[in-house]
Amino acid sequence: MGSWRAASTACGNRCPFRIAVREPGRLVFRGAKPGPSVRKTLYIQLLLLTVVIGAITFVISLVAISWLPTVASEEGKRIDDIYLFTSVICIGIFALVAAVTVYAVLKFRAGPGDMEDGKPIHGHTGVEIFWTVIPTILVTVIGIWSAVVVVQNDDLPDDHRIVNVEAQQFAWSFSYIDERDGLNGMQVGELVVRVNEPVELHMRSPDVIHAFWVPEWRQKQDVVPGITTFYRITPTLEGTFPIICTELCGLGHSVMRNQVRVLSDADFDAWVADQQQAVDSGGATLGQSVFQNQGCAACHTLSAADATGAVGPDLDSVLAGQSAEEIRQSIVDPNDVISEGFAEGVMPPYGAVPEDQLDALVEYLVTEAGG
Amino acid sequence: MSTHTIEHGEHEVGHAPSPPDRRNLLQRPGWIRGALYTAIGFGIATAFVTGIRSLGDLDPVWELDVLLTAWTVIVPLAFLAGMGVFSYWIYWVTGKPTQPEDHSGHGAESWKDYFRVNTDHKVIGVQYLITVFFFFIIGGLMAMFIRAELAEPGTQLIDPNAFNGFTSVHATLMIFLFVVPVFAGLGNYVIPIMIGATDMAFPRLNALSFWMLPIAGFIILASFLLPGGAFSAGWTNYAPLATQQPDSNLMFQMGVQWAGASSIATALNFLVTIITMRAPGMTFFRMPLLVWANFTTSTLVVLATPFIAGSQFLLMFDRVLHTNFFEVAGGGYVVGYQHIFWFYSHPAVYIMLLPGFGIVSEVLSVFARKPIFGYRLMALSLVAILFLGFSVWAHHMFVAGMAPWLRIPMMITTLLIAVPTGIKVFSWLATLWEGRIHFKTPMLWAVGFISMFVIGGLSGIMLGSVPIDQHASDTYFVVAHIHYVLYGGSVFTIFAGVYYWFPKMTGRMYNEALGKAHFWLTFVAFNVTFFAQHWVGLQGMPRRVADYDPAFANWNMISSIGGFVLGASTLIFLYNMLVSWRSGAPAPGNPWRALTIEWQISSPPSKYNFDEIPQVVGGPYEYGVPGARHVVLNGSRTVETEKPEPATAGAEH
Repeated sequence: MGSWRAASTACGNRCPFRIAVREPGRLVFRGAKPGPSVRKTLYIQLLLLTVVIGAITFVISLVAISWLPTVASEEGKRIDDIYLFTSVICIGIFALVAAVTVYAVLKFRAGPGDMEDGKPIHGHTGVEIFWTVIPTILVTVIGIWSAVVVVQNDDLPDDHRIVNVEAQQFAWSFSYIDERDGLNGMQVGELVVRVNEPVELHMRSPDVIHAFWVPEWRQKQDVVPGITTFYRITPTLEGTFPIICTELCGLGHSVMRNQVRVLSDADFDAWVADQQQAVDSGGATLGQSVFQNQGCAACHTLSAADATGAVGPDLDSVLAGQSAEEIRQSIVDPNDVISEGFAEGVMPPYGAVPEDQLDALVEYLVTEAGG
Repeated sequence: MSTHTIEHGEHEVGHAPSPPDRRNLLQRPGWIRGALYTAIGFGIATAFVTGIRSLGDLDPVWELDVLLTAWTVIVPLAFLAGMGVFSYWIYWVTGKPTQPEDHSGHGAESWKDYFRVNTDHKVIGVQYLITVFFFFIIGGLMAMFIRAELAEPGTQLIDPNAFNGFTSVHATLMIFLFVVPVFAGLGNYVIPIMIGATDMAFPRLNALSFWMLPIAGFIILASFLLPGGAFSAGWTNYAPLATQQPDSNLMFQMGVQWAGASSIATALNFLVTIITMRAPGMTFFRMPLLVWANFTTSTLVVLATPFIAGSQFLLMFDRVLHTNFFEVAGGGYVVGYQHIFWFYSHPAVYIMLLPGFGIVSEVLSVFARKPIFGYRLMALSLVAILFLGFSVWAHHMFVAGMAPWLRIPMMITTLLIAVPTGIKVFSWLATLWEGRIHFKTPMLWAVGFISMFVIGGLSGIMLGSVPIDQHASDTYFVVAHIHYVLYGGSVFTIFAGVYYWFPKMTGRMYNEALGKAHFWLTFVAFNVTFFAQHWVGLQGMPRRVADYDPAFANWNMISSIGGFVLGASTLIFLYNMLVSWRSGAPAPGNPWRALTIEWQISSPPSKYNFDEIPQVVGGPYEYGVPGARHVVLNGSRTVETEKPEPATAGAEH
């Protein structure tokens, strides 16, 4: 405030800038004195422009366009709140900058042949402190709020389900490792969870870095070889959402996708029963569920399973006439025989699939396509 | 040593031309000897590797990764020796009579002079600029392929391997062969003149810095010729994907070493030049902000670049020497790579921005005819960014699986670095306020830069918040952010700088109408290309994908169309530069009525820049202050002479 007052005395109550001109030895305050009406109009016009640009940006950014997909988790809602808050601040700053720029461009343009200089304004301590302190406060608020959200989102109730996630080039698999619902040890190829039940994913990768992202859940976490990373989520919305790998992991990165199904309690129980039945019946029936659960359909076409993947060979045609041993070999060591037109190293070896499931899968493939 | 001293003395007396070189073409430094030495280096490297491998009974004798490592180290050194980059030092070390530096090689008489080793900072500046724009075009062409493939979902033009190769090489060229070195080029030309020096402090080191750069570019491009195609693990080259890749990945690891070495050598040169060779009266707070920017940038380069060199050496060791720095099976730590990598690569963002900040300050002040608002705070905010810049690297790793607690302090510092950056933006706006703004082409780019950079900065604040980053990281939101910062930010300032100093460098004016057309076309096309990518990313499109959800098809098509127009707009720039350089209107010494020293001398400057060392008497931006002067040249100077500098001080030692 003091400097403003000093400026006022120096240039007669009208000049908002204290103008410091450095000359050898001493500091002199000097400023031009435009008429008061001109000056006032200037700032009113600028204010109007800021409001207009701010309103337009606000409408575009937060009202007219939905920038984020539907939110489907407790954690995501908190992220959306901080996103909204930060957006509003950013829109305000953008509107101010855009207004000053546009205004200066229109208002202070030199005419042709204008050889005059502008006003020798060297700075203003008050203004400079203002635009140092205000942004500091704003980013501090964003920082504190973000930190609170991080802590809240990391804190899952003790009563949560644990699912192991394995990400490998270029497929996801999931196993239910706790005793809940009798799913102990069940390995599946798509993630199925109960709505409103907190889940902690324990994620590992045997090869390179992947990342687990469900846009509707907002949360994202890399899956890193050598360590276990954790993904904590409380799904709040039933539905099917994509799981997307967001860390470049090689040739098949863009197709390394899967899905999560968030089911109501009744649907989840029904799904559990289906899984048990498939295991109990064994043979080709189990094989079909293994085919689905291991994510084969993501890359291969197989009409019997309604699979239409196009990354790898079309199983309807390439399996014709192949023996059970040959099919098993192509699952366990895909690079042994490469179909024409496909690159080596795209399909990962599936040697870790439990023996009985592998037998069932081979039996299923022989029945559906091999024979 | 004694010989050297005597010759040194001789040359200071008068610039006598050296006797003509009587050696034949194979012995004389130049392209022919360069080619010969390259072949010899290739032979030595190959014999060395295969010889040792066969002696050690290692199978196979012809192991590509080992050979590539040897080739990318030994062949460039041999080439540089053949070109004569090391001649003086080798003669001096071996006690042979050294070729006295008589400056007969200074200046460029014809285009051929730009293709030989030259120690003149102005020639090196132009060499840098032409080289980096060559790689800018190559990298830009790759972007055209990327956008063509992404115009529609599915695979049409290039397969995923080629796609990953193009994205990786595009980013690598744009960062290491364009944005980082282009500022070394502009700085090389103008900074010595701006501080009233006749050359850089170490002209021979300067030449070496430049000649390492095309080598880096060549190595990176050569990866396309290797089995398996170009390296394709992204410009970040994360382990262990990098180690899993074919041997062409080595070309990234080794190419970056040469670019990094070039960068470090130039930065050291700038630091010594700026600290020791300022004209009398040029105190730190009378330096133009570009000099400040270069000073802080060079400090960042010298401190940070060894870390990317380290990260790539460790990757190379894992591949070639079978160490286990990042190999899980051998006890390696994968996230460790990212810490080392980003400890350079985050400061690198500021290495690519701060010199642009400097250029924008010069241009805004001159074309708004006003002093920079808050000059000292502008200079100090650069220093603040320098310090804070070293404490934010892990914000690239919020979801990478590092120690969870580390996210919070890294988030706080990341958000705080917005404060000095904001100070700069607000001060630029205040500089425009009540100015008399002349919208010449450089000014259009500078004002365009402010608006585009603000968008990139604000999306940076959003990404700086951990929870928002958890959603937005590794998506097209990040792609949009980085292009708003590095294209709307850095590249706009580069164009501002190139148009601004074009008359000084070439002695000719560029075509103003074409310059404006270039700006407006780029400005519109740039926003069409990248703005919608924010939305696409938040909606669920990950980055670095050759194929994507058809739901995003329309916006990707728009992005691609914008991208092609953006590519085409660069042709206007190239045409303007080439034609104006040949036949533009002759430029006066000071077409912009600027106060900084480089504009007070002829365009282009004479061979030694000044007839006599200038005397600095005031700040660099005193527009509108009656009677204020920044510098006194060739006139009656005040008796004050704080630092007597011999006219050729920079040329020796």
